Amino acid sequence: MKIFNLNIKNSIFACIAVGMIAIGCEKKLDVQPYQTLSEDKALLTESDVSGTLVGAYDAVSSAAAYGGDMMILNDLIGNKTNIAFRGTFAALNDAYNTIMTANNSFAAATWSSAYNTINVANNVLENTSKVTSSATRKNSVEGQALFLRASMYFELLKLYAKPFNDGNPATNLGVPLVLTATKAPIKESDYVARATVKAVYDQVVADLIKAESLMPSTNTKFATKWAAAAQLSRVYLMLGNYTEAAAAANRVIAGSGKSMTPEFKNNWFTYINFGGVTPNEYIFYIKVTNQDGANSFNTYYGAPLGAFPGSAGRRDMRIQNAHLNIYETGDIRRAFFTGTSSASRYTLKHLDRFGDVPVIRLAEMYLTRAEANFRNSTTVGATPLADVNLIRKRAGLADLTSVTLDAILKERASELAFEGNNLFESQRLKKSIGTIDWNSPKLILPIPQREMDVNKQLVQNEGY
Amino acid sequence: MKKFFLLSFLASFLMIGVAIAQNTTVNGKVTDEAGAPIAGASVLVKGTKTGVNSDAQGNFTIAVQANKVLEVVAVGYESRQVSTNAKSFLIVLKQDVKSLSEVVVTGFGGSLIKKELTGNIARVKGKDIEYMPTPSVDAALQGKAAGVFVNSQSGKLGQAVTVRVRGNSSISASSQPLYVLDGVPVTANDNSSYGGDMNPLTDINPNDIESIEVLKDASAGAIYGSRAANGVVLITTKRGKSGKAQITFNLQTGYSEATKRLPMLNSTQYAELILEGAKYNDDADGTPYDDPYSWTSYVKNDVMDYYSYGEWSKDPSKTYDWQDRVFQKGHYRQADLQLRGGNDKTKFFSSMQHLEQGGTIIGNELTRTTGRLNVDQQANNWLDVGISLSLSRTYNKRLPDDNAFSNPLQAVALMPMTPFIDPTTGLDAGTPPGDLNIPLYYNPVLSIKYGSFAQEVFRTFGNTYLKAKLLPGLTFQSEFGLDYLSQNEESYFRSETIKNQTRATNGLGTNTGAFITNYNTNSYFNYTKVAGVHNFNATFGMQYQQSQSRFNFTEGTDFPSNSYQKIASAANKTGGSSSQSDFRFLSYFLRSNYIFNEKYIVSASGRIDQSSRFGKDSRSGFFPAVSAGWIMSNESFLKNFEALSFLKARASYGIVGNAEIGNFPQLGLFTGGAGYTGTGGQRPTQLANSQLQWETTAQFDAGFDFGFFNNRITGEVDYYVKNTTDLLLNVNIPATTGFGSVVKNLGALENKGFEFVLNTQNTVGAFKWNTSFNVALNQGKVTDIQGQVIEGGVSSMNRVVEGYPIGVFFTPEFAGVDPANGDALFFKNTKNADGSLDRTTTNDYNEAQRIVAGDPNPDVIFGLTNNFSFKGFDATIFFNGVAGNQNNIYGMGRYSSASMLYEDNNTADQLGRWQKPGDITNIPQVRLYTVNGSQASSRYIVDGSYIRLRTASLGYTFNSKQLSKYKIDKLRIYVSGQNLLTITKYPYWDPEVNADSFDSNIAKGNDFYTPPQPRTFLVGVNISF
Repeated sequence: MKIFNLNIKNSIFACIAVGMIAIGCEKKLDVQPYQTLSEDKALLTESDVSGTLVGAYDAVSSAAAYGGDMMILNDLIGNKTNIAFRGTFAALNDAYNTIMTANNSFAAATWSSAYNTINVANNVLENTSKVTSSATRKNSVEGQALFLRASMYFELLKLYAKPFNDGNPATNLGVPLVLTATKAPIKESDYVARATVKAVYDQVVADLIKAESLMPSTNTKFATKWAAAAQLSRVYLMLGNYTEAAAAANRVIAGSGKSMTPEFKNNWFTYINFGGVTPNEYIFYIKVTNQDGANSFNTYYGAPLGAFPGSAGRRDMRIQNAHLNIYETGDIRRAFFTGTSSASRYTLKHLDRFGDVPVIRLAEMYLTRAEANFRNSTTVGATPLADVNLIRKRAGLADLTSVTLDAILKERASELAFEGNNLFESQRLKKSIGTIDWNSPKLILPIPQREMDVNKQLVQNEGY
Repeated sequence: MKKFFLLSFLASFLMIGVAIAQNTTVNGKVTDEAGAPIAGASVLVKGTKTGVNSDAQGNFTIAVQANKVLEVVAVGYESRQVSTNAKSFLIVLKQDVKSLSEVVVTGFGGSLIKKELTGNIARVKGKDIEYMPTPSVDAALQGKAAGVFVNSQSGKLGQAVTVRVRGNSSISASSQPLYVLDGVPVTANDNSSYGGDMNPLTDINPNDIESIEVLKDASAGAIYGSRAANGVVLITTKRGKSGKAQITFNLQTGYSEATKRLPMLNSTQYAELILEGAKYNDDADGTPYDDPYSWTSYVKNDVMDYYSYGEWSKDPSKTYDWQDRVFQKGHYRQADLQLRGGNDKTKFFSSMQHLEQGGTIIGNELTRTTGRLNVDQQANNWLDVGISLSLSRTYNKRLPDDNAFSNPLQAVALMPMTPFIDPTTGLDAGTPPGDLNIPLYYNPVLSIKYGSFAQEVFRTFGNTYLKAKLLPGLTFQSEFGLDYLSQNEESYFRSETIKNQTRATNGLGTNTGAFITNYNTNSYFNYTKVAGVHNFNATFGMQYQQSQSRFNFTEGTDFPSNSYQKIASAANKTGGSSSQSDFRFLSYFLRSNYIFNEKYIVSASGRIDQSSRFGKDSRSGFFPAVSAGWIMSNESFLKNFEALSFLKARASYGIVGNAEIGNFPQLGLFTGGAGYTGTGGQRPTQLANSQLQWETTAQFDAGFDFGFFNNRITGEVDYYVKNTTDLLLNVNIPATTGFGSVVKNLGALENKGFEFVLNTQNTVGAFKWNTSFNVALNQGKVTDIQGQVIEGGVSSMNRVVEGYPIGVFFTPEFAGVDPANGDALFFKNTKNADGSLDRTTTNDYNEAQRIVAGDPNPDVIFGLTNNFSFKGFDATIFFNGVAGNQNNIYGMGRYSSASMLYEDNNTADQLGRWQKPGDITNIPQVRLYTVNGSQASSRYIVDGSYIRLRTASLGYTFNSKQLSKYKIDKLRIYVSGQNLLTITKYPYWDPEVNADSFDSNIAKGNDFYTPPQPRTFLVGVNISF
């Protein structure tokens, strides 16, 4: 019976072994992720809130947002006069040819990216009470989150809604206004309808004013109160409030301590030339490094050119011969291209893959102040003539002796070409884009089809 | 003493209840034809219920009266009857080749004879896939098992393969079956960082496989619980056999070529079309053609002459077919050595393989070296131990994904007048310092010449087991298995690739590691009891699996020169990362099987699964199944039908699950990788769902197994209904929330189908001809997604639509070309007031509603194998096919079958475009840069059905007389071919396609410059000593 006994023992042993493994295993099912953190542990301390603010910058710097797609779309839509688009992204091609459909993938990505940034900013705004180290720091965090949220709503309005000056902004549809952080589970109230153009602009103005008051004057690579003021000056231009536009631009010029880069060319390919030092002229920009960030200006305008080692890009947006007509002879900016025909001409502004993505430069503030002063017949900060000549001088052009609105606008177009303003400028100035009327619905992006499908509260834009 | 005790104990146990006068004792030994003992053979006195089983050495002792007949039955062998007039004798059993007697592996140590099976398990013998030029086991299943759909997706080597068992039963979770190698669930998902998904099953040497069992219905699968809804593929490797060691050496060599070249426009035709488009534009603008600023001048000077380095104007007919530049003849060399042998106590199988395969596309190459040793040791009378160990190295020079300019096949888009070589530099077109703007797009040849991406995988599959006989009929088995995948990927792109690798100014290098350790333990009891007409078997146990995946990545730029390609030499370390993700499963399972009087079979099984992947509130699930079978041919009322040798009716119902949705889908998460230029940051990335659980599939299966004419004709018929509920769905939510989707259990779908298998021995005797045929019809239907819009694929054309199979093509309907003006037309398909569709046409694309325009899932799949042998000759012809599915060629079609919309070269069929009023054609007028019919529409949804001569082989085996003086047992020489013939209406390269850049459960059937399957020719020699 020895074997028998042994086997009984064996089987008992085996049962115990199985049982022990089983008991040991139960606990093992509580596996935690590594690169991610459970939401209940993520927003507890001041550094968690600060980290989330950085997350909002990360979100806003994504390619589909201020990484540059927002500006690229602004430049590209219908802009056949200035740009020869030779890219293969169908969604961009459709934007260029103003034959967009509701499932335009760039329209979808930009929309999602903007609202993603807004949600991160809202998470920060709901937790500013945890920033306890100083009131200044708390204000700074809150101001920056407001600035980023307002900037995204402004960009959404530029692309997805009728311009403020087209029809009645109090009834025209803007975009859904979401001002609270999203929490699981998703509720009925998360399906938000479009607010009016005016309602969204009101929110943008309010947020930017508050942001400017809360944000610090200097803030390393992050946004300052001057960024908020500069953004505000753009908003006021669209709203036709030239007094506030001039005042906001003037605050930036007078208070920011920023100065014009002495040579125009030194505003560009700063990574190749200066190892990534941000030009002093940049008021707000997205920092790109060789490890992080995207520069869509470079992606689509850029090209690898032998004359500029390190230059890169998809060579998608080449510059038309006709574009050169906007510049005066001798204009440094007229020569700021490479290539001889629209098949091979590229702007030199965006050759740099790791260069900062400029959102607002100081030069624009001078031009805004000049225009707003001129329209109001005021001289807030300086005369329009002095401001325009300051820009002209750097471009290698002779001073004007008198100034007209056209001269100011021509200067603005020459200075800011291919920096992501074409659609916005055309709409606010009621200037057609090529053969397309400034207020044509074809210039406005569709509300993304996926949003229409998901959210029955939404109304599609005309023509989609 | 021990042995005596055990034997007497065994004997006494088996004799319980048996009380017959016994006159004499007979000793015997049961062996197979090779002399190896057969353990567990049942030795029964005919006409009585008296019997014993043979022991591990094949010996038996039975007390019996004289002049009786003993019936000896062993699984997998033909039964034999012998008289008891001798006292001691040797009984040699012949292997039973008829499929009904096959032993089918059922998982966790279980096996059943096919005729006693009540669930649906398809078995593919290792022999049937041996020495095929198919590097992975999943691809080898193609056409071999009814209801198992296999699509190799691409002709790239080592790429992922789509396998669907009885349709696609998930939308967001994986729909691939669970692969279990010798009891260990193996890592089978992609871990690569470049190109399309790779296939970790490539690390298994298919020639090591004894059999593959596909558990298709719930009854067979329930023992794998929450992991069985997509079917379970059990891979069993060869084990040793006692007897003389057999050494087999196989060598095969040959080459592969792409199955097809696509007719593209030559330079003259290209010029004709593009100039027609320019003329259209000039006419619209009112510009004279010879105006230097006309479109015509632009096309001549800035397009055709510019992109041909000025050659076009000198010789307008000179054509370069860029396919010549990127397709190649790939070599194939494979050597296999197998050893199999052992004695009563120790048995071993060992193998080595070396494979070198060149792709049919430049730059693609796969090398695999594997070694395996499987040993089984009888430690003593009650304990067996064993180990299986396989080591492999797979080295794959990979290609970029289909949607990359560097994908070699995208070279077809280049203009036919662009020379391969830049005449100004003598280098490949587009190589610096030449003009980077030429060719039209990046020249993919540069990435092959000046770049590399190599993936090296070391894989260890190990499994040890211990099997103890605790009591008669009761065994305990414990297994510990390991699947360790260590993968390194290394790339270097030289500055010549700058136009594509825009960061490679001074070289760009990456190094990526993936280390996946996957432990598994199975411990189970198995109890078998045969008592007269009662045959009972039960398995009970537990399984614990723990998988840990770790990844790391480094990237560097700015190398001193191209001679330095390791990141140590990079001046800028531009990227680095490490990450980890784990999952665990803890499961308990039970399976029991009861057979009464060899007629009635009932079976029940169940499993409790717990997993780290599920929400806290729903961590544990129970998956039961029942089945029953009735062997009608053993009933007396059917005994008179001579022709009918076997008939069994069977049915099963059960519930299984699908837990393959990745790790941590249930948690609300912030992601820490949200830094901004040097400052760390986090942001919310996922919304929580604490109730998240597996997908549930309830499956009903009913069928017949039959055999006629002494089982020369056998077959199976099955009908099944699979209802999947609680789909794990990435439910879209408004992006205004800051999130795109949330994972929920929502929605339902069903798959219904019919399977038919027929095996016939058409001729026996000197000329043998066997046929195996299987056909399966599956109709999938999404029944409920609560209005979710789920899209994917090229231009988001694949969609999940209620009432249709998963991933149908949802796009406007092309209505041809307006004969009056050459406009592309679309059916409006808007709803009329009465609910009917408005079938009027429009040239305004935005006016046309999208409809279901095609389905990438085949309705019918089939396989047909014919084996012939005559004297020393043997031949196999194997066809497989799919029907009723469509493919989407819009990815390439929008550029290259688009009436010369852009400068891309077009397919030759575009010559049939509309030219003048009255022309009847489906190809719209050429309008350069103006979209006319090249929008996404049913124009690009084409028939993907095919019948393919998948393999054909012819061999000759020299007989042993001819060979004896060389001490060779067997020598076979053969030729074989793969994909020799494809019958299809498909317009592009290969209908068996799915672009790797878009691949997902719902994005199937897309062609995006996807490399076709290789056509392979081999000669081989197989020698046994």
